Amino acid sequence: MISQKVISIILLVLSTIAILACLIIDFDAWIVYAVAIFAIPAWILSLGLLTMAKPKPEDVEGRLKEPFTGY
Amino acid sequence: MNLMAEILIQVIIAFLAGSLLLGLHRKIMARVQRRPGPPIIQHLLHSLKFFFKETGFPRTVSKVFYIGITFILALIWVVGVIAGPVAHDSLLILFGVYAVYKIVEHNAGSSSGSPYGKLSCVRAVLSAATELPLFAAIVFVYLVTGTMNIGEIITYQSVNGPLIFTIPLAAVMFFMLIITKSPYSPFAITKDKALISGFETEHYGLLRGFMHFSEAIAWYVMLWVFLTIFSGPLTAAGYLIGMILITFITAFINATTPILSPNHSVMTQITIGAICFFGTVIMIFTGVVA
Repeated sequence: MISQKVISIILLVLSTIAILACLIIDFDAWIVYAVAIFAIPAWILSLGLLTMAKPKPEDVEGRLKEPFTGY
Repeated sequence: MNLMAEILIQVIIAFLAGSLLLGLHRKIMARVQRRPGPPIIQHLLHSLKFFFKETGFPRTVSKVFYIGITFILALIWVVGVIAGPVAHDSLLILFGVYAVYKIVEHNAGSSSGSPYGKLSCVRAVLSAATELPLFAAIVFVYLVTGTMNIGEIITYQSVNGPLIFTIPLAAVMFFMLIITKSPYSPFAITKDKALISGFETEHYGLLRGFMHFSEAIAWYVMLWVFLTIFSGPLTAAGYLIGMILITFITAFINATTPILSPNHSVMTQITIGAICFFGTVIMIFTGVVA
């Protein structure tokens, strides 16, 4: 869980820097496209992984053992 | 305007407009079925709300794959926004986006380890039948206009009139794709209620919100592409009216049509596609299409 948080923070920082750089500096179009394609979804996903509510400590095991939520 | 700023604005417009249109779709379906239905803003609120919901990753999932597939879903529809509204690029890129979308449906189902997801994953292969009429529609647009470039297709229509009057059956084929991807469609065999939510069943909380974000953009992009390549150059108001109209029509069809079984769904799509294909070929060879 901690490693997931660290990865999310790194991803959020990197994607924010990449998007801001493209907003400030006029790069070639293909660079901006590449940054947008990867950084926009990465920014949203990493932000979501940080903002999502975590299960209570006593519920963690039950949540992981739950095979399929669809049942 | 700065290119990144333009992309960000278009992605935000696609998300907001797509979410509201999907909310409108549910509302219209409900009213047709004499239910009050949720507020139009409900789809948008759900997408945002899920980002703060409790999310866990069951042991049965392939975690990297399970999270990664939602990332790829968002990625391909950002490509759709760039190739469509931002760059007016090639239709082939959008065909590629749709092809990858089918792969995402397939893999989202298989990544969860759930029987519902896996069955939906198998059906995603069957539902690829929609790609044949889509490809045929794109080929006909190319045969008439001589280009795959969306910007040049818009220019062609500003001189020769909207393609919907020139090749109406190709427009029908494309419209069938829109019906297929609309919520509660008779062709939505991957999300049949017998499979709970199909390939999305085990993606809940944050990941479901992320998928809602991508699906809102997908709906906007598909409507935008249809209106752009068949209805000629449109103003912002024209796009708005066109999108609302298509959402209304698809909602009415979906509210009054039960979901088909997988074999009937595929056969219906292929039959309509074949009729429209040969109809357009006859129109071209008899000189009806200039």
